[in-house]
Amino acid sequence: MNAFWTTFVLLSGLLVVVLVGRLMWLNRPQAELRDVPPAPLERLGWIGLGITTAIGAGLLMLVVLVGTDFIDVNTTARLTFWVLMLVGFGIWGASWYVIKRRSGGVVVDERDRAILARSFSVESMIVLLMLVTWTIALTEAFSDEGVMPITYLQLIFWSTFIGGAFGRALGIVLGYRREIVVDA
Amino acid sequence: MPKANISNDIRRLRFEQGEMTQQDLANRAGCTRQTIIVLEKERYVPSLSLAFRISRVFDKTIEEVFEYSGEE
Repeated sequence: MNAFWTTFVLLSGLLVVVLVGRLMWLNRPQAELRDVPPAPLERLGWIGLGITTAIGAGLLMLVVLVGTDFIDVNTTARLTFWVLMLVGFGIWGASWYVIKRRSGGVVVDERDRAILARSFSVESMIVLLMLVTWTIALTEAFSDEGVMPITYLQLIFWSTFIGGAFGRALGIVLGYRREIVVDA
Repeated sequence: MPKANISNDIRRLRFEQGEMTQQDLANRAGCTRQTIIVLEKERYVPSLSLAFRISRVFDKTIEEVFEYSGEE
């Protein structure tokens, strides 16, 4: 892996940490809401945040250790990636059934649905930011050649997919830290 | 968008109705306990539908449970 991509990966990771930290700080729970136990959907959001962070870190590790073409050329790395994806998203999905079973009564109500709907804005913002970052980075890296290896298309897709899931989980967690007004 | 100032007497009404728990009220009104908690703290404005359901649990009108005092 050359210096350009190492710098790109490190700066992108740093940017994500700074942006998420800033968002969490700006949306820290108000004093009155700090002792409210987490709603079932909020628990799912926290689990998703942890799982997507782990999968994202795993993908970054594979790119750093094996290279950007690990999906095409390295069977072990490809298998590791698929296990990471299936186990990660599988646990996230299964955890919802566990949470639903443990919670008595209504699991998702109008406030949860409003938060879920608003979380889409965080997801779309992160997806857009990732696509912009990829476009700038690939243009800078391959402007001289005029062509780019096809393996980057897979990386763009999977990183955006994981980023989108991370954004949705982040949006849910942030939603519970805000005051929601429903005008329905 | 203007923010509606809506206060409520849910906590008092719960205790007047035999110390009904937040979970009981949530089950009967069809929402989560967390929503009842944030409603009591007046950090959430319910939909008209939820406001009606909560009022019916207490056998009261909406105006007896919720009070609208304009927008800020």
